[in-house]
Amino acid sequence: MSSLVGFLSLVFAIGINFYLFLSRYIFKFKKQKFNLFIRLSSLLTLLSFFSLMYAYVVSDFSNYNVFQNSHSNKPLIYKISGTWGNHEGSMLLWLSILSIFSFFFSFTKNIDESFQRLTLIIQSLLHILFGLFIVFTSNPFLVNSILVNEGLGLNPILQDPGLAVHPPILYAGYVGYSIVFSIAIAGLFQNTDDEWLYVAKKWSLISWTFLTGGIALGSYWAYYELGWGGWWFWDPVENISLMPWIAGLALVHSLMMVRGEQAIKKWIVFLSILCFSLSVFGTFLVRSGILTSVHSFAADASRGIFILLIFFIVTGFGFLVFLLKEPKKSNALNLLFINKVSALVINNILMIIATLTILLGTIYPIIIEVLYNKRISVGGPYFNSTVIPIMIPGFLLMSVAPILSWQTNKINNSKKYVLAFIVLSVLVLIQSYFLDFNTWGFVGLLLGFWIILASIIAIFSSYKIKINIKFFKIINPHVAHIGVGIAIIGITCSSIFQNELDFNLNEGDKFIVNGKTVLFEKIETTNEINFQSLRGKFLFDIEKNRSKEIEAGKNYYPVSKMITSEAGILHQWNKDIYFILGDQKNNEWFVKVLINPFVSFIWLGVIIMMYSGLIAVSRR
Amino acid sequence: MFFTFKIFAIENIDERVKKLTLELRCMTCQNQSIYDSDAEFSNDIKKIVKNKLKAGESEQDIKKFLVERYGEYILFRPLMNYNNIFLWSFPFILLIIGLFFVLIRSKGNKV
Repeated sequence: MSSLVGFLSLVFAIGINFYLFLSRYIFKFKKQKFNLFIRLSSLLTLLSFFSLMYAYVVSDFSNYNVFQNSHSNKPLIYKISGTWGNHEGSMLLWLSILSIFSFFFSFTKNIDESFQRLTLIIQSLLHILFGLFIVFTSNPFLVNSILVNEGLGLNPILQDPGLAVHPPILYAGYVGYSIVFSIAIAGLFQNTDDEWLYVAKKWSLISWTFLTGGIALGSYWAYYELGWGGWWFWDPVENISLMPWIAGLALVHSLMMVRGEQAIKKWIVFLSILCFSLSVFGTFLVRSGILTSVHSFAADASRGIFILLIFFIVTGFGFLVFLLKEPKKSNALNLLFINKVSALVINNILMIIATLTILLGTIYPIIIEVLYNKRISVGGPYFNSTVIPIMIPGFLLMSVAPILSWQTNKINNSKKYVLAFIVLSVLVLIQSYFLDFNTWGFVGLLLGFWIILASIIAIFSSYKIKINIKFFKIINPHVAHIGVGIAIIGITCSSIFQNELDFNLNEGDKFIVNGKTVLFEKIETTNEINFQSLRGKFLFDIEKNRSKEIEAGKNYYPVSKMITSEAGILHQWNKDIYFILGDQKNNEWFVKVLINPFVSFIWLGVIIMMYSGLIAVSRR
Repeated sequence: MFFTFKIFAIENIDERVKKLTLELRCMTCQNQSIYDSDAEFSNDIKKIVKNKLKAGESEQDIKKFLVERYGEYILFRPLMNYNNIFLWSFPFILLIIGLFFVLIRSKGNKV
């Protein structure tokens, strides 16, 4: 029953969008009525999504999709998240988020009426495209032809609270760029005033903030759920989410320098189209199953062809309009040696190079396989030695960029910065001799501290310190950059100064980690609702009264016959101590302990970036 | 000072095994490096690499041996050969194009 409701409302929503598209050229709607229809279609799409969710919650196995991907003895939260833990459901989620964005966009004020309508029409076209894709290739409302009372279960690796909320947030980022795309295309068609640029800025900041959150959640999940001790693997699926993120960052930055300069406007439109194209491309690659990935949960390739087709339609249409209707009158840019515009241009160029390099590295194995029928890998080492060096000049520049002047060639207090940089370099150099000297470690720490220090100097020497909302809006770019600096320190320390200790232990053994005695208490096995768990229990720092308990082990999921590893992590502000329980050999357990210094700084940095993303939305 | 550190690094065989196996793909896992993986395949390769390093073979030799045995797929860092010339030069071509763009743009604007 719920499946029928879901399917019908999905089809009706698509129908409304068809009607809107046709009626624009046949009837002339009044604004009120037009927006009403847009909102109606959004609500219908949401109804469709929630009826699928309902089917999951009540374990309605007459729905084929629920039967394939759910199981009645799962905790409620994973029944809910199971809705988007599979291809069909996640596509419906994609469409629902698209219509949520249209819904909110229809309420935008201070914007030209016909412009708003044109944007929404383009949204409607996207809705139709993806809606038809769902109905014809990935219908989540198919009826199960056999009568069953149990389902096949959800991939246990996805049964995790972090991953339950990760897809909706990530998708909100991806799909948010649809609005930016539509605004940019509408801007090309109407090309009247520059008001649309401010609207585009707002929406691209919202999308970017969501995307940041989504990526961070995904990598935090990889950190504690995969149990490898790392949080970023240059995995294809990770790369794919990183591409629109960097392109989106470039977009947000170039929207800062809109000052009626046509050359920039052209570039903004280009980036807007690129961001959404990369988002659709990302969806295609993840869902097509072409890539081998740790995050792989893809289905068959025939659907991939359809998404590829959609990708070509969207991208082709976008760039075609861009070429035919490009903004006229290109004013030359005012690129003096050091000013804000040239800093932003350099930043944009570097970001685009990084994006394209990641893109090439990610699809290169596919190209080689098609051309030479040979399998190769392009992994972390490639990206580390290409993308990171390219970004370094950008990192150096970003520390002072916000205080550069728009027009002239002068930095205020430039001596202060030079002095600070020299002192800092010496300090970091001394520090790194006490640890093992490592070139990347040195560069990373220097950059991180430099960005933070220069931003703080800039805040204190350029503005009057006041504690009110307006002040926080003014210093917001610096705050964002401090977040980046903190994240760079965390990234450098946790990846380069990671320490690994291996032990073979019996229950009751004591061993030393980081100068503290740890007791391997016991091994415990328990039966949970949907899995069996094996846990090694450790007591950290037993000599003190406040010793901490750590559990590391594995889960066995009988329904899907899979084992997942569950790392035990002791979080401290300056390091994570990461316990991995290995296999038992000759009556001894293999225990790996990783000491990851300053991992928490990565998440702190990301949170600061997201905070300033939100602040920037409210700033015009 | 630099020199002493380097010598120190070469002496430590486990560090060298780590450095090399981090750049190798575990063929039986999902996108995991041999170093990070505990799969049987990875443990075998780790042993092979360690023995070969002890026997004094260079990293290049070991990589070559592994590629002959398992194909280029095992290398996370693609070889710098004719096929991959585009892959490796691409970022630097882009960088040069970018530089040119900046130079041309700013030349026309000199006051």
